[in-house]
Amino acid sequence: MNVPPASLSDLVVERVGFGIFVLDREMKVLMWNRFMQDHSGLSAEQVVGKSIFASFPELPRVWLTRKLESVFQLGSFAFSSWEQRPYLFKFDHDRPITGGVDFMQQDCTFMPLTREREVVAVCVTISDVTHVSIVQREREEAVAKLQEYADRDGLTGIANRRFFEARLRDEYTRWQRYGGDMSVLLFDLDHFKKINDQFGHGVGDTVLREMAQRVAQVVRVQDTFGRFGGEEFALLLPCTPLEDAMLVAEKIRHTIGDAPVDVQGVSVPVTASVGGAAARVGVPNYDVLINEADAALYSAKRQGRNRSVAFI
Amino acid sequence: MSEPVLNEDQRDALQEVANLAMGQAATRLARLLDTFIELSVPRVQVVEISKAAAALREMTGIQESVSAVRQGFRSDIKGEALVICRSGSIEQLCGLVNDPYPRSAYEKVSQQEVIFDVANVLTGACVSCILEQLGRTPVFSAPGLLGESMSLDDVFQPGVLAWEVALLVEVNFALEDQSFRAHLVMLMAEESIRHMNDALDALLSSL
Repeated sequence: MNVPPASLSDLVVERVGFGIFVLDREMKVLMWNRFMQDHSGLSAEQVVGKSIFASFPELPRVWLTRKLESVFQLGSFAFSSWEQRPYLFKFDHDRPITGGVDFMQQDCTFMPLTREREVVAVCVTISDVTHVSIVQREREEAVAKLQEYADRDGLTGIANRRFFEARLRDEYTRWQRYGGDMSVLLFDLDHFKKINDQFGHGVGDTVLREMAQRVAQVVRVQDTFGRFGGEEFALLLPCTPLEDAMLVAEKIRHTIGDAPVDVQGVSVPVTASVGGAAARVGVPNYDVLINEADAALYSAKRQGRNRSVAFI
Repeated sequence: MSEPVLNEDQRDALQEVANLAMGQAATRLARLLDTFIELSVPRVQVVEISKAAAALREMTGIQESVSAVRQGFRSDIKGEALVICRSGSIEQLCGLVNDPYPRSAYEKVSQQEVIFDVANVLTGACVSCILEQLGRTPVFSAPGLLGESMSLDDVFQPGVLAWEVALLVEVNFALEDQSFRAHLVMLMAEESIRHMNDALDALLSSL
């Protein structure tokens, strides 16, 4: 007996680059294309005529049955996206090394196959969208990294002024709403211009980096430490009364001043002046708080530097 | 004023087609979801796209921000279907299907997946039924989230949409004893409206 030659559409279905299979209402497989065979390792002969769950017991049974039923009952399409459900079948993908994803990411479409307006079977297509998912994840990582860079000061690696002010604004709003304590310290390296003039800007930059690093090591995790500009730094201390903040101010002053910085064999002595202020009733916004800390800092400078002063 | 996009007979025919289709869709949804969902009498209106948001605001009474899921459908009559509800009522939208995947706690389903499923079921039932009445079997594209908290004006950005006139078919869904409403809007562009006219004429002449 002669086998009739395959139709063109049969050949297309066999060779096409995505999975195609057909299920009846009892979840029995009626058709299984080459893509499904290649990726599952099960041929049409092994799968067709049996329940899909007999061949793939790990499939989400309730979910898949429900999808199929909606297509049979409504006569319209159903979908599943990798973004909500990464895959239906545990298939390998062709990005094993650079991929970083466990299984082929899949978009699935459930199409009604109708005769005389009656849904006779449901065709399921499986698209390999692994590359899309990888590109998207890389983009998300890049955005997260950019976001982090956007919040950091390029020279010292601590928070930049923009990020510091955003945190200060949030904390200030929280304080207005819930009360309690919050303080701000502003500090400035004394005679920093002289260091730059005497040793050069390279040394000045190293001093800034070293000081930022030393102070970063002594602040608490809940505090925000940022570079405010030039040689000026700021520290936001949530839930901290002014008295305690001034203890922190002294600690910072010692951290900076107790040991000189060694740069290329040169020992550079550095001291700092610190001004502190605390939020209290009558301070209308966080700008005023910064201005008060700045006034205290100015007063520390005028009193001879290398000291901390609280705004009262 | 240019030629009306639908003449009076066509409009009446479309209204009748939509009414029949919604009856059919309600039956199918009730069977699938095991819950009776009230479908309103659909309202059919041709609007300029720049006035679509205002028209929809008037139809739905929604002033606040909305969540919207869009889905494309395609035959010679093609367009977009939007499922819109107030942003705060997404959970109730999911509640349209009481426990969409019963006994499947071990098969984790995210809320977003449920949202897409519900939107897809509503869209699929209504759009298929309308187009079936016109002798078309549409192909659908996968649902996508337009936004979770957007104004109706942003749903119809005139600069983004490729057409100037749209046929709005608005249906709303309600659960019997709940105040919650979701709205389905079918948007069709001029060319599809012409095909729709032909289909309606064919239907009228077959009567």
